[in-house]
Amino acid sequence: MDMNIETPEDQNEENSRRVQVRFKTKLKPPQKVPSNSIAIPSNLTRFGLSSVVNNLLQAVNPEWKSEPFDFLINGELVRMSLEQFLLAKGISAEKVLEIEYIKAVAPQKEEEPSLHDDWVSAVDGSNPGFILTGCYDNLGRVWKAGGVCTHILEGHCGAVSSVNIIKSDGLKYVTVATASKDQTLRLWKVCSGSWDCTISLWRTNDSDAAGNQVSIKKRKGNNQVEEPQLEGEAISTLVGHTQCVSSVVWPQQETIYSASWDHSVRTWDVEMGKDLSDIFCGKALNCIDIGGEGSALIAAGGSDPILRIWDPRKPGTSAPVFQFSSHNSWISACKWHNKSWFHLISASYDGKVMLWDLRTAWPLSVIDSHKDKVLCADWWRGDSVISGGVDSKLCVSSGVSIQ
Amino acid sequence: MRERKKSSAVEVSSVKKKKEKKTKDNNEPREQKEKEESQSIMKQQKNTTSRSKKEKQRKTTEDYESLRESELSGDEVHGTDRDVDNADDHHEEDQTDGSEGHRGVEESDSSEDEVAPRNTIGDVPLEWYKDEKHIGYDISGKKITKKERQDKLASFLANVDDSKSWRKIYDEYNDEEVELTKEEIRLVQRLLKGKAPHTDFDQYADYVDWFKYDDALHPLSNAPEPKRRFIPSKWESKKVVQYVRAIRKGLIKFDEPKEEEPKFYLLWGDDSSAAEKAKHLAYIPAPKPKLPGHEESYNPSLEYIPTQEELNSYQLMYEEDRPKFIPRRFTSLRSVPAYENAVKDSFERCMDLYLCPRVRKKRVNIDPETLKPKLPSRKDLKPYPVACYLEYKGHKGAVVSISTEASGQWFASGSTDGTVRIWEVESGRCLRVLEIGEAIQYVAWNPLPELPVLAVSVGQDVLILNTGLGNEEEQRRVKDLLHVETPTAPDDNMASIVSWLQHDKLDGIRLRHFKMVSSVEWHRRGDYLSTVMPAGESRAIFMHQLSKKLSHRIPFKLHGLPVSSVFHPTRSIFFVSTKKNIRVYDLLKQRLIKKLETGLKEVSSIAIHPAGDNLIVGSREGKLCWFDMDLSSKPYRVLKCHPKDITNVAFHRSYPLFASCSDDCTAYVFHGMVYSDLNQNPLIVPLEILRGHTSSNGRGVMDCKFHPRQPWLFTAGADSVIRLYCH
Repeated sequence: MDMNIETPEDQNEENSRRVQVRFKTKLKPPQKVPSNSIAIPSNLTRFGLSSVVNNLLQAVNPEWKSEPFDFLINGELVRMSLEQFLLAKGISAEKVLEIEYIKAVAPQKEEEPSLHDDWVSAVDGSNPGFILTGCYDNLGRVWKAGGVCTHILEGHCGAVSSVNIIKSDGLKYVTVATASKDQTLRLWKVCSGSWDCTISLWRTNDSDAAGNQVSIKKRKGNNQVEEPQLEGEAISTLVGHTQCVSSVVWPQQETIYSASWDHSVRTWDVEMGKDLSDIFCGKALNCIDIGGEGSALIAAGGSDPILRIWDPRKPGTSAPVFQFSSHNSWISACKWHNKSWFHLISASYDGKVMLWDLRTAWPLSVIDSHKDKVLCADWWRGDSVISGGVDSKLCVSSGVSIQ
Repeated sequence: MRERKKSSAVEVSSVKKKKEKKTKDNNEPREQKEKEESQSIMKQQKNTTSRSKKEKQRKTTEDYESLRESELSGDEVHGTDRDVDNADDHHEEDQTDGSEGHRGVEESDSSEDEVAPRNTIGDVPLEWYKDEKHIGYDISGKKITKKERQDKLASFLANVDDSKSWRKIYDEYNDEEVELTKEEIRLVQRLLKGKAPHTDFDQYADYVDWFKYDDALHPLSNAPEPKRRFIPSKWESKKVVQYVRAIRKGLIKFDEPKEEEPKFYLLWGDDSSAAEKAKHLAYIPAPKPKLPGHEESYNPSLEYIPTQEELNSYQLMYEEDRPKFIPRRFTSLRSVPAYENAVKDSFERCMDLYLCPRVRKKRVNIDPETLKPKLPSRKDLKPYPVACYLEYKGHKGAVVSISTEASGQWFASGSTDGTVRIWEVESGRCLRVLEIGEAIQYVAWNPLPELPVLAVSVGQDVLILNTGLGNEEEQRRVKDLLHVETPTAPDDNMASIVSWLQHDKLDGIRLRHFKMVSSVEWHRRGDYLSTVMPAGESRAIFMHQLSKKLSHRIPFKLHGLPVSSVFHPTRSIFFVSTKKNIRVYDLLKQRLIKKLETGLKEVSSIAIHPAGDNLIVGSREGKLCWFDMDLSSKPYRVLKCHPKDITNVAFHRSYPLFASCSDDCTAYVFHGMVYSDLNQNPLIVPLEILRGHTSSNGRGVMDCKFHPRQPWLFTAGADSVIRLYCH
């Protein structure tokens, strides 16, 4: 049974070509359309397709509120008119085309920015309960969702350069680590890269000797009484980079990934303290993150406007598998979504945070809330993008629906 | 019979014959024998005995005619009384003799008295006629009947009686008896002796050289051309076949046939090129007069006729520039007047033809493109700074000087607003602002990474300041180093010129000079620094030792106003640039090594390559000189690129890059590769023009410095912005 759906564009272009399509989805029933094939005009873009799906949903459920959708054909997001897309990809329009739709990934609303006293240099949103930020005023801050600063972490005598939430023991105890430009790791971090071209591994957990569980200056979430500080020695130092190590990640227990200004991304074996592999890119790198498919893709941004993604599993090549180049200036931060294989954000000195999907070369959305350089960005609660920048604001863009 | 045979068998051996001849008159058998011998020889030499034969022939023909008649009358006349056995014997004998006789016929070559034999059977064995009554046929086809055989005894008796019988020979072929004449006998005898048959023939006559070759005009031989000259040679045809095969196999290759240019005489062409071809001496023909065109026609088209305005304009021209001929229209050729300049023109032409001196100009035919140096593509020379991604804003006045920290994490800038700012490269954050209160001239960061100390020249002071960076231990060391006791003034003379004071407000050292200090330069070890005071005359350049808090005047005489000084990156060599020249001093031996002549009007800045053998010099007229110290004291290259003053030049520490910045608000980046191979000259390639700064008070970019580790360039502008250009 065929149905013809009249859409506004359709009426304008009565004589345009039509394509037989069938919509399918992995979404739950209220968002599911009947799996009949329908004929739609081929000049529809994403917006047109979205309104078709919304119309279909409304036909089933009159109380349906329309919602933006994104569309995948053969695993690729549609970013032009359907006709152009089919031509570009060489897909036959004769057969019934299967279009998968997903919820459009775009921030729904901007929350009130949280104002700091100085540049926001680091942000961590791995705990759904709060956001941790580091600031150039030597303080770390803990924010509740609505722009309310609950705690201020004092202790550094230099600007905080990196923050990390190590572990949350239930609700009450949270371990956080901060690194500072005063050359100290004030609350312990797992591993740290530095301007002396080395990566140091720290372990100061004297109570838990077994430990791969790293960390360790405990701080109760409720009070700000500091326990006596421990002066720790680095348990091992990874030497190999020739210039400053700008970013490190430790996604698995045995490997550390690091990016450096000597234009390389290196993989380290923690136990051996050895360099497993390196990828050279030709530009000084500022940030690195591991994620994506099988948590194996390396995303890195550097001193040029291109966000590069490597697949280290691919043998014999060090060419990036993806390059996203919509930014205008250095990329200061990049983060993979921790659930999705496809989504990542990048922050740049041009004041923009971009949301990327690996399935298309265009950014899904551009968050333009900052007025100056964005220094850090992270995901929060799986559906919000948090970012901090030179304009001393922590911006939260929520409502990013990623299944 | 047997005897005859035997004798005939041995007749060839001449010795025997001679013996026999000597004894031939003595006895009968000898005579007989001799007769037989002579008979056989006679058969061989039959033709020589032609005369006797003729006679005999005559006789025999008569006989035969009579015989023929008898034959015609009755066939079986002879056959009845003939002895069969005898006939058989005779026939046998005939055969052998006949074969011999036949040979003799063949060998005959004297044809003058040849008489055809009576018998005409030809060269067939006589045996065939053995059983016949005839022995053959005569010339008219009649059968020649055999003679009747004589009884042997009767013939013997007849021979005995006949004294001439020894000279008679039986001719078997013709079936007749021949009597040899005396001459014939003599002839035979001569032959037997091995002499020539005729007596008048001298076998060994003296050689007479009939032909004289000395003055012979005509060919020796008048012989006709031999036939072989007219028939194709077999050898040649074989050779031809050989060649054909070789050509087919490709063993013989032919040259490409030359394309002959058609030889035309270029009627209207210039003769000069033709003269070159003909290899005369330097004869240059006069150029041909211009051929008449349409305008010289008596009735040219209207467009050739000048208008009145044009004619008037001709009048305004100089005489030489005026056109020689002004076209006019006539209705017919008859109405064309005489050409008034005809004599004059032809006279001038004649003058031109033989009086005008002509010189052939040598013109070098070179494509100007090939004269351009071959430069490598810019793509291959990456990385180099291309685009500006970061701006460092905060200064209120023009940024005069910048200096990067050794690790490349921070840099310092000094401005006319009286502040020194320390920036973080990565984020563009200003870490610290040092309020000096006076316009900054120069900032220089200590080259040691563990000694974060900044030298700032302000007016007559040089301040050595603590940046406050680095860890606590380093800070402690720096504070110790920057502490000065109250001046003890060990040398009054020196103290009046330079004094070491403690700067209280900014926690540093204040080096008070007696004149304006224009630039400060650190030694690579970070302990010494040199200061330049352009107005200081003989005491213009000082060396200060930070650890001992001592100052020295350099022991060299300067010729001219010093502009800038720089330490050699590896050796104890010191470069001082005055307005025109650069002097190179050895600090250990304390003497002048070299003087580099820039040829510039006013040097503004110098920079030295990290290997230390190359130097770049920027000048106020916008020229950049590259000196190769190994080559000469003259610049290796002079690059004229900036339209305005070059304010500063810089080398990169590790990449083969150098840059110059100018008041025209641009900075140029060059590739400057210095090879370790001494035979290879440095390669200089212009790479990029970096724009972005705006002009302020006529000043553009005031300073440029490379990042120590990345191929990035910092530029300080008079518009109070510092820009970072990245690759």
